[in-house]
Amino acid sequence: MLILNPRHVTFAAATWPDVTLITLSRRTTRVVLDWSDNGPHPTFADCPEQRTDIKLMMEVQRGDLDGPRPGDTGTLAFFTSPTTADGARRRVSMTAVVVGVGHEVSLKAGAVRTIDLVAVSSDGAADPVTISSAD
Amino acid sequence: MSTFKGIDLFGSGPHRFRQGVQGEDVVPNYILGISVSGSTPVGTLELDVVVAGRLVAASEAALWALRDAWTAQLAHPPVPGALIDSHGHEWEDMSLIAYEEAPPTDRGRARSIAYQATFRRFNSV
Repeated sequence: MLILNPRHVTFAAATWPDVTLITLSRRTTRVVLDWSDNGPHPTFADCPEQRTDIKLMMEVQRGDLDGPRPGDTGTLAFFTSPTTADGARRRVSMTAVVVGVGHEVSLKAGAVRTIDLVAVSSDGAADPVTISSAD
Repeated sequence: MSTFKGIDLFGSGPHRFRQGVQGEDVVPNYILGISVSGSTPVGTLELDVVVAGRLVAASEAALWALRDAWTAQLAHPPVPGALIDSHGHEWEDMSLIAYEEAPPTDRGRARSIAYQATFRRFNSV
């Protein structure tokens, strides 16, 4: 999932301004594969351990001594829509934990902060990402 | 379809058969109380057949039913029966002597757990 220029991004009690993009990546941390006696191909595959990683990039307009820190947790929420208009607007939210914060500074792009988070499920079975209508 | 004593214990998921070591059972002489170095052949090894597989179910309860079906076959003394693999090869007079699971229970799209079952054809039975 790739979200460009999301409107109004919040994390816990903070509002994060000037977010340029958010990516949600889902990957398996353990794959189960099993073969039968009938041939070379696996007959069973499953992904019993997964993780959802969020990367968020934001422009930093001025010095900030109080940014997010690894271990911080809260609800990450933002709104997005296909055409950045109000129609079909969706709210995407998840409980997430900050696992990394980095900065890059260049003359062309200015100061960019990258925040890496991991989404956490409420009970292990439920999808950590909730997408709902914002209407 | 693979079966043991006509029961489909294997069919919920993939499984593979293999035979254990076959040949002569050779015992070191000192164990037999023979004070000469070396070993003595005492007879043929008992045949072991090992099945490694995965039980697969749609729910936690259904997976427990599959696990319970396995443990229900463990008895003392073991009751031998025919073991048949998915290609129709048959081993007669096999006894289930061990059923071992390899945790964790995997809870992804399906509930599943890997297992290994060991069957033996006892020479004395």
